[in-house]
Amino acid sequence: MTEDQQRILKARAQALAQEPVAQATEAMIEVVEFSLATERYAIEISFVREVFPFKELTPVPCTPPFYTGIVNVRGRLIPVVDLKKFFDLPANGLQDLHKVIILHSAEMDLGILADDVGGVRSVSVSQLQAALPTLSGIGQEYLRGVTGDRLVVLDAERILGDPKIVVHEEIEK
Amino acid sequence: MNGRDDEFLKSLLAAFRGEAAEHWQAISAGLLELERSPAPEVVERVYREAHSLKGAARAVSQTEIETVCQALESAFAGWKRQEWQPVPASFDTLHRATDLIQQLVEAPGSIDPGRVTQMKSDIETLCLLAPRAPAPEHVEPVMPATHGGETIRVATRKLDGLMLQAEEMLAVKLAVNQRAGDLRELRTQFNEQLRAEAPDPHQLRVLEAKLQTLSRVAEHDNHTIGRMVDDLLEGSKQLLMLPCATFLNVLPKLVRDLCRDQAKEAELVVHGGEVEIDKRILEEMKDPLIHLVRNCVDHGVEKPAERARLGKPARATITVSVTQVDGNKVELAVSDDGAGVAVEHVKAAAVKHGLVSAADARQLDEPAALALMFLSGVSTTPIITKISGRGLGLAIVREKAENLGGRVAVQTQAGKGTTFRILLPLTLATFRGTLVQAAGQTFVIPTTNVERVGRVRVAEIKTVENNETIAMDGKTVALVRLAPVLELPANSALTDEPVWLTFVVVTAGEKRIAFGVEAVLRAQEVLVKSLRKPLVRVRNIAGATVLGSGAVVLILNVADLLQSATKVRLVVKGAPARAVERKVVLVVEDSITSRMLLKNILESAGYRVRTAVDGLDALSQLKTEPVDGVVSDVQMPRLDGFNLTEKIRADRKLAELPVVLVTALGTQEDRERGVEVGANAYIVKSSFDQSNLLEALRRLV
Repeated sequence: MTEDQQRILKARAQALAQEPVAQATEAMIEVVEFSLATERYAIEISFVREVFPFKELTPVPCTPPFYTGIVNVRGRLIPVVDLKKFFDLPANGLQDLHKVIILHSAEMDLGILADDVGGVRSVSVSQLQAALPTLSGIGQEYLRGVTGDRLVVLDAERILGDPKIVVHEEIEK
Repeated sequence: MNGRDDEFLKSLLAAFRGEAAEHWQAISAGLLELERSPAPEVVERVYREAHSLKGAARAVSQTEIETVCQALESAFAGWKRQEWQPVPASFDTLHRATDLIQQLVEAPGSIDPGRVTQMKSDIETLCLLAPRAPAPEHVEPVMPATHGGETIRVATRKLDGLMLQAEEMLAVKLAVNQRAGDLRELRTQFNEQLRAEAPDPHQLRVLEAKLQTLSRVAEHDNHTIGRMVDDLLEGSKQLLMLPCATFLNVLPKLVRDLCRDQAKEAELVVHGGEVEIDKRILEEMKDPLIHLVRNCVDHGVEKPAERARLGKPARATITVSVTQVDGNKVELAVSDDGAGVAVEHVKAAAVKHGLVSAADARQLDEPAALALMFLSGVSTTPIITKISGRGLGLAIVREKAENLGGRVAVQTQAGKGTTFRILLPLTLATFRGTLVQAAGQTFVIPTTNVERVGRVRVAEIKTVENNETIAMDGKTVALVRLAPVLELPANSALTDEPVWLTFVVVTAGEKRIAFGVEAVLRAQEVLVKSLRKPLVRVRNIAGATVLGSGAVVLILNVADLLQSATKVRLVVKGAPARAVERKVVLVVEDSITSRMLLKNILESAGYRVRTAVDGLDALSQLKTEPVDGVVSDVQMPRLDGFNLTEKIRADRKLAELPVVLVTALGTQEDRERGVEVGANAYIVKSSFDQSNLLEALRRLV
């Protein structure tokens, strides 16, 4: 091993030794993973109130197609959205929807359907890359980004803040 | 984050609006009081209110409100120190200032800044005789750090009571925990006996005794917990009960302003401000009440000269009283000692609008004739003022009252006056609902709006001008199927038109329609839960309720239903529900842009559109969900358009399905291939404009 090589290795070792400090300052977000048909998504945990396994869902007529219905969560009636339909994604693959992830903001509670809900993990914000539209089919505006292992991180704030989610209709006279 | 700041600011402003409303209402009420009799403590009060509002406005940078309040505060301060004395005209200025504040609070940005400056100098002119009082330095009121949204004031005693009841629930939790433990233990002991070769009879008897005790205790628990839950629920409902005074306090100013505009004199007497009513009912009744009071001044009260001629006191009396009746109802009465309503005028107006024939009108007795006032279009005044005079007002009053499950009545005596009485339920929370089934789903219709339920032979349904009708007591009633009104497909389980059709006759105001349903299940008490944001208001849906089984059932909005029903045109008898269904088209396209484009075009043309990313996806969707037609690209991964068409034609169930291929391949060969595989239409993208595709679909689907 040449001196040069040794010097490089030493520098690297030192750089590696610094890493924990560097990581601590890096912005991390905690996300809840879930699956919808064959795809894996995640949503920031600060917007998740709870995960609710549901048995019955009451469809609400005269709402946009992405509204699947309302569920009764301990006396609170929470509207539930099918993200696939919300994002205009084709419904490929069989769905076995039986969980609702309840998102909340200061203004509202909203359930989103999920096949299965996995664990919580930390994602480094800097490692999120802008998603290719072909990868998820979801418009850029609803995404925080995609992780290295193809986990699609949704932007809960944008979804909850989207005017199209609000139903406020009078009957036309 | 920027969005969060915006949100915070929004909630801050909402809190300010709530607070500001309390202040200007208090100022306005104080001014009215001072006008009658100037009292130093009232001057002090309005001064403080103006000061607090100024501080609050400053905290949220509402400088215009701050400016007006600053001027008001100085004026009140001067008055307090007796540096100037108000004359009647001063009150007009002060009232105008309060009005301006209200406008600034309710519609910020819509007010010409010049008005604010003008108002400031107007107020300053009031106390010009004395040097301007310096702004007193008090501790600024602290902005409450509340979140946005509506707030109500609740008496502490109510909250204390509720807290006690909630605490009692702890005992329930402990008791249930104990019971669960007892049962577990019992089960273990019982299992031991089961596993034993020879069960010990003595031990079994002990277990039986334990079981009996436990079951008795459970019965007892059932009883106690039931009562506690009912109490807690009742207590929670009480939180929504507000004294009527909270909404009656806008009336004195209203009467004063109206009288000033019309050069009339009237005194407003209010009784029963302490009666508590459900907040939601109060809010709904606010406009009707204002309308009735306005009616009194506009139509009832005569000019002072006229009154003097009739030997009445020049100053008329308008009375608004709220009285509780029968424990759960409240009567709202608005009366005046004015001219009364001329029954003949009402009849004439109704005849003029074609609501009754002249012959019928002559036959009507007085109550029946007066009831005509509540029909829309009937007005006895030739002049149109802000609301009254258009003949809509009383119709709205009646509609609002009836929507709340109430009733309206009127009494009048020529030359003596008129009294309107509205009988309302005290609380909205529970009502009787009729459970019906449509499109396989259960819905609740408020029973107060259900005139009757019944069934009719399908053969006896007559079509009049393309609308179905049934005969009831010799009258023709429009019949509309509930499912299409709710935009639901007819229940596919009921393919054959049955011999009988069950219907529910729903009424509200003047409208009356029979709704065809699959079944009428039962009537029961339901507890209303309103839907919340994001479902702020869904057409035809008033809210939801949770049944004993835990199932969530939607409550229908009767006013909306009657409105929607008139829009659902039934074309052919025998296929009533299908006429309003939109055709479903499956768009198969691998490019997301083209997919969205096609979807958009088809949706604008009135189709319901589903999408698939390639032939394989389309095929799997077609197997589970039927569609009326397929529009497909040709070149796609996995399974292309030609092969998809071939597979569709080969499938027994799908063979007849119309398929339109949309493609960039424009050669003769490709076209032939398309025909060969069985496509119904082949549209080349280069020549592709919407009309081609839509025309093809119209012919095929």
